[in-house]
Amino acid sequence: MLKFLVVSLALATSASAAMTKGFDRLLDAVVRIDVREVAFEDGAKRFASSIGSGVILSPEGLVLTNAHVASPRAVELSVTLSSLERVSARLVGWDHWTDLAVLQLDLSEVKRRGLKFTHAEFGDSSKLFVGQTVYAVGTPFGLTRTATRGIISNNNRYFEDSRGVNGYETGTFNTWLQTDAAINPGNSGGPLVTEEGKVIGISSRGYLGANNLGFAIPASTAKRVVDGLTHDGSITRSYIGIVPHAMQDFETFYSVALNNGMLVNSVDPGSPAARAGLRAGDILLAIDGAKIDGRFPEQLPPIQNQIASAPVGSTLSLMVKRGQQASAYSVVTEKLESRVGEEWVLEKWGLSVRKVSRTFARENQLEDTNSVLVIGVQPGFPADVAGLSRGDVITKINQQPVSSLDKVKAAHAAYEAAPKPVLVEAQRNHQVSLYVLKP
Amino acid sequence: MKLRRFFLIFLLADLVGRAADLPALWAERLKTVAAVEFYTETETERRPTVAYGTVIDHKGTIILPPVAINPRMTPSQLKEFKVYRSGSATGVPGTYLGQDALTGWHFVRADPSIADALAPITDFAAKQFAEPAMAEEIWGIGLRNKDEDFAPYLLVSRVALVQSLPQRTAIALQEVAGPGLPVFNRAGEFIGIAASSFGQSFVQFSRMDRSGMPVILVNVEESSAFQLAPEILPYLPRIPTNVFGRPLAWLGASGLQPIDPEVAKFLHLENQSAVVVSEVLEGSPAEKAGMKARDIILAIDGAMLPRLKPDRVIVGYIDREVEKRTVGATMDLTVLRGEAKVELKAVLGDEPRLTTEAERKYFDRIGLTAREFVYDDAMSLRIRKVAMAGVIAHFVKPNGPAAVAGLRTDDWIKEIDGVEVKTFAAATAKLAEIEADLQRAEFVLLVSRGGETAVLRVKLR
Repeated sequence: MLKFLVVSLALATSASAAMTKGFDRLLDAVVRIDVREVAFEDGAKRFASSIGSGVILSPEGLVLTNAHVASPRAVELSVTLSSLERVSARLVGWDHWTDLAVLQLDLSEVKRRGLKFTHAEFGDSSKLFVGQTVYAVGTPFGLTRTATRGIISNNNRYFEDSRGVNGYETGTFNTWLQTDAAINPGNSGGPLVTEEGKVIGISSRGYLGANNLGFAIPASTAKRVVDGLTHDGSITRSYIGIVPHAMQDFETFYSVALNNGMLVNSVDPGSPAARAGLRAGDILLAIDGAKIDGRFPEQLPPIQNQIASAPVGSTLSLMVKRGQQASAYSVVTEKLESRVGEEWVLEKWGLSVRKVSRTFARENQLEDTNSVLVIGVQPGFPADVAGLSRGDVITKINQQPVSSLDKVKAAHAAYEAAPKPVLVEAQRNHQVSLYVLKP
Repeated sequence: MKLRRFFLIFLLADLVGRAADLPALWAERLKTVAAVEFYTETETERRPTVAYGTVIDHKGTIILPPVAINPRMTPSQLKEFKVYRSGSATGVPGTYLGQDALTGWHFVRADPSIADALAPITDFAAKQFAEPAMAEEIWGIGLRNKDEDFAPYLLVSRVALVQSLPQRTAIALQEVAGPGLPVFNRAGEFIGIAASSFGQSFVQFSRMDRSGMPVILVNVEESSAFQLAPEILPYLPRIPTNVFGRPLAWLGASGLQPIDPEVAKFLHLENQSAVVVSEVLEGSPAEKAGMKARDIILAIDGAMLPRLKPDRVIVGYIDREVEKRTVGATMDLTVLRGEAKVELKAVLGDEPRLTTEAERKYFDRIGLTAREFVYDDAMSLRIRKVAMAGVIAHFVKPNGPAAVAGLRTDDWIKEIDGVEVKTFAAATAKLAEIEADLQRAEFVLLVSRGGETAVLRVKLR
């Protein structure tokens, strides 16, 4: 009895000792991020401010945060260190698919002002167990350096959100850590850490209206993405155009062995997989000779990631079962693109547009990508007066196809220089209409 | 000024004095209206519908307004037609004759036993029709519901406005007749039939929402708009010879969008209407005539499209121009393509099989009605005709096995149990076989929705 007490006391002492050292160090590495970003949605350039969290990762001042905190739309980023000093930063790169972004502190400013900071270290997120105590540290509702405690509720949660990061896709290539440590708005981008202060996740989102259902991107994913973003400024992924589905419940029907294969639920028209001859209802058994197991939904992100990790333009050999026959298909990968194209605002017209991407064109059955999508109009401005509205797809301006955003910008610049009526051709639900934008 | 007002009053008094006794006119003209009751049968429901119509001939033929029947229903789902005279509790059987594409009217014929109790509206047509003048007094008939024996009642109003929509349509100060029922002038001459009522905009305030919420109210029992007699009388002989109203004249220029005055000015097309063709349907007469998507139609048979208000009305005008013609007739079209005017000669075809004509079969155990894939489906799914195959989920029973598996109405079923189903016959044979096999625990569907496919497992037990 006594021994046990002693042992547990000793354990408790060691844990709290670790906390004082590692955890303290971690607390010093957590930052508040103030973002001023531009939005194009309303047919005008508007600026909005928001607050997020981040964690310093290296002595060189790299800061990891969420993609939904810091995106290329940010025009001003400032980081508040644990010393409460504020330093400006710039975006190194972002990756909405994993909801991660990397910032670089302005080191010359740090040096000039003689500021100090520490950096945190990654832990091994693959060794986390359900029930393990974790802490979320961040800036919920602007309350700097807030730590909340909870446990790992699930260490392999799967969900995808096709518009999760400010309208961009997320969750396709990673699973999430679920925790009951309180995660509130403003926690985003802050670290989820062990008692020793090791970063095992980046707090990203919670369920609105639920109690203590928070989600974080695991460190294993974050490490990879940080390396990629630091190196190239972006993560390049391969795309072949299959929409996967878990095999669970379908094994008997397709007579395949348990724990082998993944169902191809859909093949994007015109995609590499479609051109190679893959069809919906096919069972993908192996990629480049390596067997895959897509029995449960949680197993799909790693498979998706395996495909995405292949170099763009490389050839994948897919072993596919169709009916009783298994055969190999060679698929040449393409570069993965977001549905969300580049955005711009044409202020004199009061018109916000977004370039139509391949994915958007396919989803909306547009013939090609020579168009821009109207994402907003400003009431009373020429676009609104002419009758254009959000969701319209502009295909021609002055009878010229809209093959790039630059063409639109050029037409707008010409109008700005010498205002005269402009003829716009646009589609709404595939119905073609003409509009005149008048000065 | 004083003198003129005096004159006006005098004139009105004179008119009233000369007009026939209204109760006598009323009694005679009541014979021109009837209530038609029928049941709409769906897979799981049977619902009565009542519509009001006008008698058009001595055989007891009645026309019902286009909205009387849900366009998603196929004639075989419409059962037990019954015709009631106004004020009568007992009806006689009726026969559904079909819908006319041009007017949109549904034709129903009453059992000959009441033919004598009915009178065609043509009996009250004016010898020389004169468009009703502004403020002219007009009256019409309304009918109460079935529980009140379809009791007739009088509605009186005045003409406020006459417009081309594209049919000549009068709008009265207030409700003047039940939709589908006739309107008369003070002399008792037939001047039109009430159309569906227009919505009226209101702002609704409540204790909860004090800022007010805009709402549109539509009176479904009475209408203040009516199409004038010249839009009715010449078309009465268009009694369909089959329930689908075939043959149906077809051009195949789809998604017609009017151009607004600003665009017209930009394109130097003042004082006329013009419409953009969004799509030229595959295999259609328009395609054969060489029409291209984005052509702008300027004229039909050499006549410039008239300027109608609002802009939208011109689309209905062109549709009617097609439907007025017969299959095989030629339609000359002048279109603007880029900068050039191009003359096209289209020979109208018979419209491809409609959704309402498509075969359907309901599988109760699966909870699914499979419908034949028709041309319209190919157009709405935006696929080529050659890719037409499979069946459409026309009805998915709520909480039935197919619904639980995730199947939704209008999904396109391409494969059943891993086998491609090319035709309606093949699909229904497969589904029938699955439905009959009580040992079956599950089967698999490959469906397409919005260009993306999904494999669905339907659990039967």
